[in-house]
Amino acid sequence: MRIRALALLGIVAGVCLLLLTLQMRGRAAGASDALAIFTTPVQTVVSRINRTAFGLWSTYQDWKNVRTENRRLRDEAQRLRVESLRVSEVDEENRRLRRLLQLKEALPLETISGEIIGREWGGWVRSLTVNRGRSSRVVRLTAVIGPDGLIGRIVDVRGGSSVVQVLTDPASTVGAHVVRTRTPGIIEGEPRGTIRFKYMARDGAGMQVGDMVVTSGLGGLFPRGIPIGRVRAIDDRGSALFHYAQIAPAVDFARIDEVLLLTGDAARDVAAHFPGAS
Amino acid sequence: MRTFLAVAVLSGGVAHATMGPALRIADVAPDIPLIVVVMLAMRRGPEFGCGAGFLAGLLQDAATGGLLGVQALTKSVIGFGVGALGGRLRVSQPLVQVPGLVVLSIVEGVVRFALLQLFHFPASFGELMTYVVLPQAIYNGFLGAALVLALAWAESIRERAS
Repeated sequence: MRIRALALLGIVAGVCLLLLTLQMRGRAAGASDALAIFTTPVQTVVSRINRTAFGLWSTYQDWKNVRTENRRLRDEAQRLRVESLRVSEVDEENRRLRRLLQLKEALPLETISGEIIGREWGGWVRSLTVNRGRSSRVVRLTAVIGPDGLIGRIVDVRGGSSVVQVLTDPASTVGAHVVRTRTPGIIEGEPRGTIRFKYMARDGAGMQVGDMVVTSGLGGLFPRGIPIGRVRAIDDRGSALFHYAQIAPAVDFARIDEVLLLTGDAARDVAAHFPGAS
Repeated sequence: MRTFLAVAVLSGGVAHATMGPALRIADVAPDIPLIVVVMLAMRRGPEFGCGAGFLAGLLQDAATGGLLGVQALTKSVIGFGVGALGGRLRVSQPLVQVPGLVVLSIVEGVVRFALLQLFHFPASFGELMTYVVLPQAIYNGFLGAALVLALAWAESIRERAS
């Protein structure tokens, strides 16, 4: 066994050295050609396998790269979407604040601006919390308005905040009149979140859908001429003493973020500063 | 047995041709046929190792366009030596396998260099050792140990299943 192994090693070494010697003397072309008969098909197969393996590998790499790129682009798109939303939000806020500032500068009244920091939107109470309170010298029953019209009045003043009773609150009543016909009446909130205009039948002659209703200024709480809403439907109750009109509020109470609090003397007509209120 | 020898040697060559470039790290590729020869020689003895080394080396020589017989000789010597000593060595631990394969790779490199010197090979020994033989030897050591462990694991699973 051992001799056979050594003999094999000797033969192998001899063949190798013979091959090397022949090559150095330039006589191994035949040997190379003979070997090529065996090696070329093997190399061909190996090379095909190599190409296939590399093809698969590079396909896998491409797929991996595409996946990575896809993930990166998705993250980028997500980031840009968030950024875009943020910019839109800031833009919208700017627009709102600009409108509020214009109103604040135009109104012949003392005002302070406030930001809504809380909302109570249950059917029993409809209120907003504004970040102005006693520290800003806000008092109870201060009128609260926005660029589109009347929002409500302060019903509870705290140290750094106040609660605004919104027009749609079931307990809210505001003296008002129809601009076109001068029909006087009262704006009342309803539990379902709408407002209605209550007026005496004999005074309501000629009132139409679409008429603007504004504050009357009676009572001295609200300045005269602040838009409240437009008549949406008239509920004619025949011979009853009072009739009602459904009003579409001028202000979208659910989307208010900034308000003005009228802190000074309210006995003024401000209709000229609201488009459509005069 | 001959079929197994052919398949093992060819698969080493195929693996070298297919996986070699993919396994290249910092321009260092492992010598997979050498690892296959060593593994075969340890399991099958000196004759098998010698024959496998000769065939694998000859294929590598032919494939690389170098002098025919250089790697055939070095690998057959390595295969014979490992096959002859394999039974006396405890090589089941990676702590032995890694340095063992590193040493064998270096020996193969030195022998190859010595052989090529007979034919006026121009490269210097120091550079060849630093940039080619040693990095490849280290790579061979770790890859070979990983392959041995993978084979042992596969065998244990097969035994458990049967």
